[in-house]
Amino acid sequence: MSTPAVEARDVRFSFGSTPALRGATVAVAPGEILAVMGPSGSGKSTLLHCLAGILVPDAGEVWFAGRRIDTLGEAERSALRRDRFGFVFQFGQLVPELTAEENVALPLLLGGTRRREALARARGWFDRLDLAGLEQRRSGELSGGQAQRVALARGLVAGPEVLYADEPTGALDSLTGEHVMELLVGSAREQGTTVVLVTHEPRVAAYADREIVVRDGTVTTLTPAAGGS
Amino acid sequence: MSVPLTLLGLLEREPSHGYDLKRDYDALFGRGKPLPFGQLYATLSRLARDGKVVVGDPEPGAGPDRKRYVITEQGATDFEAWLAEPVAAEPHLQTVLFAKVVLALMLGRDAQGYLDAQRAAHLQRMRELTEARRGGGLVDALLADHGLFHLEADLRWIDLTAARLGALAKEVSR
Amino acid sequence: MIRFGLRLTLAGGREAVTRLLMVAIAVMLGVGLLLITLAGINGLNAQNARYAWLETGAAGADHSTDGDPLWWRLTPDMFHGEQIGRVDVAATGPDSDVPPGLPRLPGPGELYASPTLAELLRTTPADQLGDRYPGRLVGTIGAAGLPAPDSLIVVVGHSPAELSRQPGVSKVPGISTTTPSSCNGPCYAIGIDSSGIALVLAIVAAALLFPVLIFIGTATRLSAARREQRFAALRLVGATPRQVAVIATVESTVAAAIGVAAGFGLFFALRPVLAPIPFTGAPFFLSDFFLGPAEILVVALGVPVAAAVAARVALRRVNISPLGVSRRVTPRPPRAWRLIPLLAGLGELAWFVLAGRPATTDGQIYAFTAGILVTMAGLVVAGPWLTVLGARLVVRRANRSDALLAGRRLADDPRAGFRAISGLVLALFVGSVAVGLITTIDVYEGGAGGTAAQRATLVADLTDPSTRPPSAPVATMPRDVLAQLRAIRGVRTVAVVHLNPSAADLHLPEGAIDCGDLSRVPALGRCPAGADTAAIEPGAVGSRFAPDPWPAAGLFRRQLAALRVRDVAIGTDGSPVAIERARTVLELAFPHADNGFPPETIAESNAQLGVVKLDAQYRQLADVVILTSLPIAGCTLAVSVVAGLNDRRRPFALLRLTGARLGTLRRVVVLESAVPLLVGAAVAMGTGFLAAFLFLRAQLGQTLQSPGWAYYVVVAAGVLAALAVLASTLPVLARITGPENARAE
Repeated sequence: MSTPAVEARDVRFSFGSTPALRGATVAVAPGEILAVMGPSGSGKSTLLHCLAGILVPDAGEVWFAGRRIDTLGEAERSALRRDRFGFVFQFGQLVPELTAEENVALPLLLGGTRRREALARARGWFDRLDLAGLEQRRSGELSGGQAQRVALARGLVAGPEVLYADEPTGALDSLTGEHVMELLVGSAREQGTTVVLVTHEPRVAAYADREIVVRDGTVTTLTPAAGGS
Repeated sequence: MSVPLTLLGLLEREPSHGYDLKRDYDALFGRGKPLPFGQLYATLSRLARDGKVVVGDPEPGAGPDRKRYVITEQGATDFEAWLAEPVAAEPHLQTVLFAKVVLALMLGRDAQGYLDAQRAAHLQRMRELTEARRGGGLVDALLADHGLFHLEADLRWIDLTAARLGALAKEVSR
Repeated sequence: MIRFGLRLTLAGGREAVTRLLMVAIAVMLGVGLLLITLAGINGLNAQNARYAWLETGAAGADHSTDGDPLWWRLTPDMFHGEQIGRVDVAATGPDSDVPPGLPRLPGPGELYASPTLAELLRTTPADQLGDRYPGRLVGTIGAAGLPAPDSLIVVVGHSPAELSRQPGVSKVPGISTTTPSSCNGPCYAIGIDSSGIALVLAIVAAALLFPVLIFIGTATRLSAARREQRFAALRLVGATPRQVAVIATVESTVAAAIGVAAGFGLFFALRPVLAPIPFTGAPFFLSDFFLGPAEILVVALGVPVAAAVAARVALRRVNISPLGVSRRVTPRPPRAWRLIPLLAGLGELAWFVLAGRPATTDGQIYAFTAGILVTMAGLVVAGPWLTVLGARLVVRRANRSDALLAGRRLADDPRAGFRAISGLVLALFVGSVAVGLITTIDVYEGGAGGTAAQRATLVADLTDPSTRPPSAPVATMPRDVLAQLRAIRGVRTVAVVHLNPSAADLHLPEGAIDCGDLSRVPALGRCPAGADTAAIEPGAVGSRFAPDPWPAAGLFRRQLAALRVRDVAIGTDGSPVAIERARTVLELAFPHADNGFPPETIAESNAQLGVVKLDAQYRQLADVVILTSLPIAGCTLAVSVVAGLNDRRRPFALLRLTGARLGTLRRVVVLESAVPLLVGAAVAMGTGFLAAFLFLRAQLGQTLQSPGWAYYVVVAAGVLAALAVLASTLPVLARITGPENARAE
């Protein structure tokens, strides 16, 4: 592929004495939707955290937009997360004290955008994601699906290059989850956003362009045998 | 796919000509495989013979497709009974998959690799179905979902088998 | 970013506002106490300065030298147990220096009196008070000349010729400008014993500030999990650690700023109420009880800055990761080294028992204060370790689930368990020390009140201490004086104590009294069986130095009449009228008794002892400490328990759903606080008594006496009150562990 949007090369990471990644290598093409699958405890979330600059690997390299990001300092990686990446995690990411529109505007506010402009840009997302009328609600007043869509809007508001989603529909029922995935994939394709999607559910992974499997800390790419089953 | 009962259901809605019946069946249940006229009229004849439908008076103009079919009391009762009875919860035994895994283990081949390839194929199919359902209507989505869930069920079995390969190998090679 | 932080702090929903208010209230209490203490110190200094002019005539004082010299004498007087300062003054010329508060010096036959004394002179019959001071009242002393608003001072004017002939007067160039605490030589022992007060105030301030600091700490930890989650969400979305630090700092600073403003409000509201209360022996003038501009600035700016710095430091230790706290890591258990500061504090106090107390008063103050403060800190540090011990004991012997749950949770997080009750533990410690000291001093020094007989017996010391050895100027009691005394209604006995010249050779007390007289004035002591006369020392009566019975004097009754008069003891019925009339008669009859002591009842003279005065102040301040710190500690406990319940609502709700009864959960919550409370209370009381024992031994050579049952009743009541506070938080438990709380968020 041409320059990958984000890439991990032989990444290793251990939590204390427990190894999570033992030499994981993956390259995500720009605009691609990649599903990262594997059993629980396999290290797929850890791989996502390393790619997104949340964790610094013990060994190996992580590349984004032609630069190594695992050598950057905490402040620079935070700026990356704020301006170039978006995040939709399973739960617990909205700030309870803020209204929905403030939550969506959060990356912009943290980046120094003036409050009025940030809120205006945030509001633009509410209609696109079927959230009309919920701008002033607090996170406790939103249903699971609405909260995840707010998180999605927040992930996309800054026009990120990569959207990182970790079990985005894990806490939702099938119908609500489908709605969220539809919007996620639709918006990402519209803007040409690369998506790294961690999930253990095949029906969610089916929204992606291709999938990899993380097993025992390493990455396996599945190829169908010629002729199929 | 029980063709007689489906046709009875369509007739329960309203009496129809043969051509209309085929058109409706193809639209709702055909899925790219239209019902052959021969099968259609053969089924209708059998239903008439069994007293579940009656043939109405022919319209002016000759030809078998000018006949109107009407559901009888008997037919309606049979149809209602079939509707009410749940489908046999018989699991889809992927006998082929099963046989392949067992044989591979017996012969000392790479069963894991085989399962991975199967998984890739399943996911590819699921991708196609997902793409298709996004474009179609609600009814299309329902059918696609049905397929997706089944494929997912297969994938679950594949995961479980993969986790048990070691123990299974011992069993099989005894 | 700061605006953002303000937004989160102020409009963040009910939980955030609750936390903000709690921290602000805690800071308010701390700042209020701090300001009161600072104002108290200012008040003490101002009050001390007011005593300067009364040091006129003392060798160690500086006097102003413009103006004509004065004849001057300062003597104490007593009325109803209150001390009166009497100045006899005579100007030698028209340009003599005038004391502050007076428009001019009183001439012969004139008096100036302080407002309170002037009122007493007006309302009291002359033969009880007014007759002592020759002259008529021409005016009152202004506030500038009064140490306290209710001081009793009288300035009596004389002619220079008359006054210069009286004993005890000195010629001074002008009025003294030296305060009692800055003398370069011997000074009159008036004013406040600033060193003793400094000691007591330091301990009181620490004893009050500790519970407040703990309350602040508890309030700051409210909603800790929620805040951590919120910070993690911010970090995920790309907030740098610095941005998060700014937000946390803004939160703390806003709360502190609100608290400081409220603390100033509290101080100014309480100022008029507190100033008239004689915490330090004499009430303050309201204008003396003030805060300097520097102090105001330092507190108003310093506290919010300190809060900001503390928030920054606290955040530095905790690295908020974008992933938040997914798994709760069990903190390491407290280790036995926590006992070291407590042992060090007690060891320091014990050292002085073995090595003797420091030589100077200041040295003693530093030594004792340091020991007590280190012990207090040691209690707070050792608390979690003791809690773990108690928890492990409970777990080992737990038969039922509630004990097991409570014990395990305490063993898991003993710091939180102890923090909730640490305020109460400290209050108990200070209370035990105070009670130990007070009880013992009472036993040794006869107590503040004295017995009824001691209050009813007036003793006048007629010796002249300016000669070596002290001589007795009065040869025999004048008959008319005896008649006047006996004529007072309420006077029952007049007994004369003679000076025994050979007492020193025989190692006997100097005074010799007829045993018949002594038996009629039993407050002075008892005669040995079969003796005619006894050798007594009236000044030692009521202290442990007085032997019981007194030794025989070895004289015959008839020999006494030839001996000079040393003391006169008057037994009365105890009525103030009789005592004051007798006192007036004695002062008029022997006006130039220049020994520094007016005729005093035994109880009054004991009350003037430095140690007993300190004792009274201990009592008062101990009351203040206990009354103030107990509510604060109670609040800390309540807040801590409710916060703990809130944090654990899901596990508790799930427990209830799976069959645990509400009663079981209630018992768990109570046990979690009751175990550290009881352990802490026992250790606090034991340590408090030990500290008191060591201090008394080293400082006063006394042995700790066991406090009365009243003390134990009060302690039990305090512990029960704490448990009642606990019980009052339990209705919250029922509400927050309803089934809807078992839902995963």
